[in-house]
Amino acid sequence: MDWFVISLINGAVYGLLLFLVAAGLTLVFGMMGILNFAHASFYMVGAYAAYALSSVIGFWGGLLIGPLIVALIGLIVERYLLRPVHKYGHASELLVTFGLAFVFQELIKAVFGQFLINYAIPDSLRFSAFTVFGTPYPFYRVFVALLAIVLFVALIALLRFTRMGIVVRAAVQRPEMVGALGHNVSAVFMLTFGIGAWMAGVAGAVGGALLTTSPNMALEMAILAFVVVIVGGLGSLTGAFFSCLIIGLLTTFAVSINVSLADIGRFIGLGDTLAALGTVATLKLSTYAGAMPVLVMLLVLLIRPSGLLGERK
Amino acid sequence: MLAKASRSSGKGYAIALTAIIALLALGPFYLSDAWLGVLGKAYIAALFALSFNLLSGQAGMLSFGHSAYLGVGAFAAIHVMKAVQAGLFWLPTPFIPLSGALAGVLAGGIAGIFACQRSSGVYFAMVTLAISELIHTIAPNIQELFGGETGISSYRAAFLAFNFGRESHVYTLILIWTVICAIVMWLFARTLFGRLAMALRENEGRLPALGFNVYWTKVVPFAISGMFAGIAGALLSIATESANYSLFSVDASTAVVLHTFIGGSSLFLGPAIGAIIMTVFGYAASDATRSWLLYQGLIFIALMLSAPRGIALLALDTIDDIADRGARALLRALLIVVAVLLIAMGIVMAFEIVTQILTTEYQLAHTQTGRWNSISVYRVKWDPLSPFTWLVAIGSVVVGVLALRRYGQRTGPAP
Repeated sequence: MDWFVISLINGAVYGLLLFLVAAGLTLVFGMMGILNFAHASFYMVGAYAAYALSSVIGFWGGLLIGPLIVALIGLIVERYLLRPVHKYGHASELLVTFGLAFVFQELIKAVFGQFLINYAIPDSLRFSAFTVFGTPYPFYRVFVALLAIVLFVALIALLRFTRMGIVVRAAVQRPEMVGALGHNVSAVFMLTFGIGAWMAGVAGAVGGALLTTSPNMALEMAILAFVVVIVGGLGSLTGAFFSCLIIGLLTTFAVSINVSLADIGRFIGLGDTLAALGTVATLKLSTYAGAMPVLVMLLVLLIRPSGLLGERK
Repeated sequence: MLAKASRSSGKGYAIALTAIIALLALGPFYLSDAWLGVLGKAYIAALFALSFNLLSGQAGMLSFGHSAYLGVGAFAAIHVMKAVQAGLFWLPTPFIPLSGALAGVLAGGIAGIFACQRSSGVYFAMVTLAISELIHTIAPNIQELFGGETGISSYRAAFLAFNFGRESHVYTLILIWTVICAIVMWLFARTLFGRLAMALRENEGRLPALGFNVYWTKVVPFAISGMFAGIAGALLSIATESANYSLFSVDASTAVVLHTFIGGSSLFLGPAIGAIIMTVFGYAASDATRSWLLYQGLIFIALMLSAPRGIALLALDTIDDIADRGARALLRALLIVVAVLLIAMGIVMAFEIVTQILTTEYQLAHTQTGRWNSISVYRVKWDPLSPFTWLVAIGSVVVGVLALRRYGQRTGPAP
């Protein structure tokens, strides 16, 4: 039973971390129609920037300044790399962001090396928050979840209750009209892009210490983010939120289930026959856990192609 | 591709192309084995890029996970080679790529069924990437099919007079298959189905009005593209006599995207040209620098920003220009080339120095001796602390940029 509760909480934490990244991606796509393949790279740069800064100004300094650096990079990318190709069409934008993701990965490899680095949870946060059936639960995970929730609430508040938020929401629906009404749509786009990048940077700064920090983290996170938006529907923040939780929970539960097809077969007496099929049947679900998100995506594509909550376009 | 890429006579280009292929075919007589090996890999990359462009250039579908079909073809071929080795059945080595074709078309078809579900190109890109990563994650766990971490190896069986133990035999086999596939793909573009695929790219909404089923019109080119990618993968297995799950990684998928668009997606041979240039460059540069992949990515982005139609069309446009306006245009083209080279050299130099400084060996030497050692770029030793070094690096970039502003012009938008 304690395994179940712990997996539940872990899954929720993971899903919330994922949401920090997916939210920015969803906002940018909903507003600008660009799927930023390099968005997960912001996550990676956030982790590495926080790591580099934390050795100079401590973990909290890294958490504060790192995402700001990422936001700055995001603004530069939008202004000088994405805006000039906007006139060339969606395919070109997609390609530029794809190339950018690749370049970011190689840059990080060149500067920090191609192996994972030891970005660790600071000692000040290494204590247990509460106990679950006798097992202590680490506070840092709760901290990550709380941070994600706070940012999510702040984002919703910003979008719903501020003037800028109204303009942003209008620009998501009708960008040309908003421009015709006299708002500086380019500035709004840039701001949104920057906020999305900042959130991804925050996710990286906290997530990098929780999970691994390596040049591969951008690709792994990118796949997860794409699965989230396909399952939840691109352009829908609520859809992204729910599919993040689903993906987070599914992956976390799958990791701890040491059952394979052959094991299930044993219950109905077909154990040996299935085992003879080879590795596919004898592999535990926990080994497949990394592939769970994509399998869910494929399932959703077959059954309900428009995603859980539909899409904007 | 419907319109001529340039106004010059098509016949002239056909003759030039045939001459080049003949020259390459005679390669074994004047090229070293090392060069034959590199060119063989380059042709495989070219075939792979052509298969990718079947989707992206013709049908407008960007497949960011194309390495899946290369890998599937490679493993199919290696298993067939092992079966031939074990005497289970007989398939002469030159026909082994057919197994790659079969595996590729099946994989492409199945992937296409999922990927073509949603109409937007953005989803297609995401789903194809996710599928390829799925295979990449699962593959190392399935020992029998993919050989785990170490992969599967076999050897090339002799056929008639060719023992395929020699590099030149393999080279010729690869060249023949690549040329045949390229011709078939070119002809495919001229069939009804090829035209339909192009219609997808131009105006997808109109197809259902004409009575065509858009979904299957997408899945079939996907399957065919997978087929040619599978052939490329099979050739790779024949060339390296092995197959490893790392073929499914995102590196191969990224490489083919870069090659295609650096070469130019709207010209039929653009991707092949891009692939050959980049592969050869890659081999030449990988001795000199560790950051070749980064430079490739930077070249790609620079091209997408300034010349989205790619190098091949840029070259053709320049040739047209020179044919029109003679010496002045030639001089201008040369100036632009020199300017670009200056910028590249400056950036590479600055980057190489910085990355060298950041390596652990250098840091170690620095802490031990307290000195900033000189770093060797372009076979010259530069002192990282001397302002002269940075003057040269930054200066060449500045001069190049100024020259470009003065003499350069932008080509048109990507089709």
